[in-house]
Amino acid sequence: METYMIYSLTSAVIFVIGIGGIFITRHFIKKIISTIIMGGGVFLCFVSFAERDAQAFADPVPHALVITGIVVAVASAAFALALARRIYQLTGEESFINDK
Amino acid sequence: MSIIIDILLAILTVYLALQSLLVHRLTQNVFLFFAFGLALALAWVRLGAVDVAITEAAIASGFLGVLFLDALRDFSDTSSKKWDDLELVRNSLHSKNPKSLFLPRLALVLGLLLFLFISLEAIWKIPDGGGLTAAAEAMLPESGVEHPVTAVLLNFRAYDTWLEIGVILLGLLAVFTVGGIKIYRKPQAITHDPLLRQVILFSTPILFLFGAFILYFGKSGPGGAFQAAVLWGAIGILLYLGGKPIFTVIPRWLLRLILTIGLGFFLLLGFLIIASGGALFEYPPAYAGILILIVETLAAISIAAALTAIFANLNQMTEEPKESNQPIE
Repeated sequence: METYMIYSLTSAVIFVIGIGGIFITRHFIKKIISTIIMGGGVFLCFVSFAERDAQAFADPVPHALVITGIVVAVASAAFALALARRIYQLTGEESFINDK
Repeated sequence: MSIIIDILLAILTVYLALQSLLVHRLTQNVFLFFAFGLALALAWVRLGAVDVAITEAAIASGFLGVLFLDALRDFSDTSSKKWDDLELVRNSLHSKNPKSLFLPRLALVLGLLLFLFISLEAIWKIPDGGGLTAAAEAMLPESGVEHPVTAVLLNFRAYDTWLEIGVILLGLLAVFTVGGIKIYRKPQAITHDPLLRQVILFSTPILFLFGAFILYFGKSGPGGAFQAAVLWGAIGILLYLGGKPIFTVIPRWLLRLILTIGLGFFLLLGFLIIASGGALFEYPPAYAGILILIVETLAAISIAAALTAIFANLNQMTEEPKESNQPIE
């Protein structure tokens, strides 16, 4: 059992936790947190493969892609948060429970 | 021994991810999310990805956590519990038969299990390709920097990084559109503690210097534009909360220039290189180091301004439209 295997397995579990959270949770903030956790699983998978392909240093391409991905995920989460707060201000709703 | 550390860290990360979704109070959700991000950053240090760890701790855990905390002013923590009660009432009203909820839940659990097995299968069956490590190592002397991740980010795959700066700007524009805020006002939630304000002023140059160091250190080690940008963005956010918002001081054209200079200079450089006969972002090896440093500095300034503006904009969303019509000054 090598280091990268442990984190590869963890990444699958984290991804499933995130995707389950998107379906099960109701509140906007919890849904946004779920998407970030799901993204964390994908990034962990990438970085663990970079460690597997390491020679003199770990494969830098997945690292660069993950850095890009984190920043993009944060930008989209900020937008989602702005939408959620706007919806709350206009309607008082905190979730999609009201199927009007 | 190191295997035990890794296993414990993996269990901790999974536990924090689960808990940050399962607890009921929103405040706990947000703080457990902070902790999850930091645990993930530790996992990345264990995997040798220090750049990613800094980015995760700074942006995904720190900056996003601050945005969530700010959003908690809207969604008060009692309302979550109130909603749970509401859900119980609604469920008992709508589903007269408790079995009607059983089938969807079963389908959900089965679907998640299936998904877990598919992802595990995909992880175990990845072929040993060797990746791009050898290719990156061979080209490293021509990139102008010594750190392989920086070389990939700003030279080999500069196109990605350029688009990423664009995505942040796009995110800011989207937040602007949703918020509908036309002018930056002085924040109402500023601190009136004189000691705290002095501490914020005192920490500003330290943060700036530390950011500049990380920016320059990206040439030879972990660090670079994005990590430095978050530190500089933290200056903007602290000054904003300390009652000295930058964006009310500088004129609007200067703000627009600062926000777009990273994207614009990068693009201009790409066009100039095309005009001189190269491919887009194919730096001449002799000048690659200095060009990368300039691009990184301007990109860091732009990203820091964008992060500050996103925070300021989200922070001002709470004020009711009625209040904003009243003269504040």
